[in-house]
Amino acid sequence: MRNYPSEPPVSSIGESGTDAAADTRITRLFESMRPDLLRFALWLSRDRALAEDVVQESLLRAWRSREALKDPACSRAWLLTIVRREHARLYERKRLELVSLDDALEHEGSALWSGDDSDIHALREAILQLSIEYREPLIMQVLGGFSVDEIARELSLSASAVLTRLFRARNKLRALYGLTTAPDGSGTEAPP
Amino acid sequence: MICEDARRLIGAEPSATSGELAQHLKDCHACAEFQLEMVALDVNIRRALEAPPAVARGRRRAPPAQRGWALAASIVLAAMATLAVWALRTNASLAHELVAHVVAEPQSWAGTDAVPEAELEDVLRKSGVILATTPYSVVYARSCWFRGHYVPHLVVRTPHSLVTVLLLPNETVAQRQSFHEDGLSGVIVPSTHGSIAVLAASSAPLDALAERMRLAERMQDNPR
Repeated sequence: MRNYPSEPPVSSIGESGTDAAADTRITRLFESMRPDLLRFALWLSRDRALAEDVVQESLLRAWRSREALKDPACSRAWLLTIVRREHARLYERKRLELVSLDDALEHEGSALWSGDDSDIHALREAILQLSIEYREPLIMQVLGGFSVDEIARELSLSASAVLTRLFRARNKLRALYGLTTAPDGSGTEAPP
Repeated sequence: MICEDARRLIGAEPSATSGELAQHLKDCHACAEFQLEMVALDVNIRRALEAPPAVARGRRRAPPAQRGWALAASIVLAAMATLAVWALRTNASLAHELVAHVVAEPQSWAGTDAVPEAELEDVLRKSGVILATTPYSVVYARSCWFRGHYVPHLVVRTPHSLVTVLLLPNETVAQRQSFHEDGLSGVIVPSTHGSIAVLAASSAPLDALAERMRLAERMQDNPR
């Protein structure tokens, strides 16, 4: 069972009573996850500066509420959840300042993918072009390892709505490979 | 279950294995093929997401005052760096080879029926291994050449997804290792007889399965 990040009062900083060794361990643990968190944030935000800010802020939040992390084995999911929430906060706050994907691609061009696998390159671009409502659950599931129920809880959606979004996300990506897309008879999403 | 529902479920969770879906896939060749395509697509999606996108900077970064965490963490980590690099280099190779082996055997994920017990025992026997119990249904079992030895390569159908298990009697790891590569997540855990690797292309309780396999694993007295 995962434990999810709480939002503890800031006054908990420095009052935790945890000793230096424990703090060192948790610092190492958090820092070892930074590449994973940044990758997750980059796929969510499509903006390097924003992603770096999200990870930075998330690590600070995680550090402040480190006592809420009961089981270190759950730390990855716990931190990813904090990153997703922080991204949602910043996304809401800063959405008007964000560059469009087209702008980002103009600057970076083919640097999106330096490998020689053109299919994967195309897939990466296609994933980036998915709207956030489809990209977010897909990234949470594939990169984050979240179950449908966990995604539903986190996004305040019904499990059925998450299934629909995941299905539609993959269905859009199928077309890239020249595969027939499955009929989308799922209609509108069910409320949570 | 009708095809439309089956495809929606598969599209949402390509490796999903609910009983109702499994039954439908047994009877519907088109949906079974759709699942294979979706599993293959999912492997590519994982590969695509493996590296972060090289997107541009859209705005100015946060002021340096917020970067205290990074500085503090760097100082704490400096002392650990040498040891970590050494440990990672040693372990990364085994994980990398495991992923390469599994990716090179995609047909292992296509099994739907349980492997006959005699066939499974034969695969295990070649490596001198016995499983006291087999958690979940084993839908694929081969004796594979890996790092100079034949090892049992199994795929089990858990309630969540298909999970690959490689029993590695000749590989020793000091402690649990986890990895994410080429669209696969995995763990390698030490066992009484070498180590056990568990990999999946979707969210699955890898550690729980590794532990069950570890408890079930025995060695033959006189392996063939």
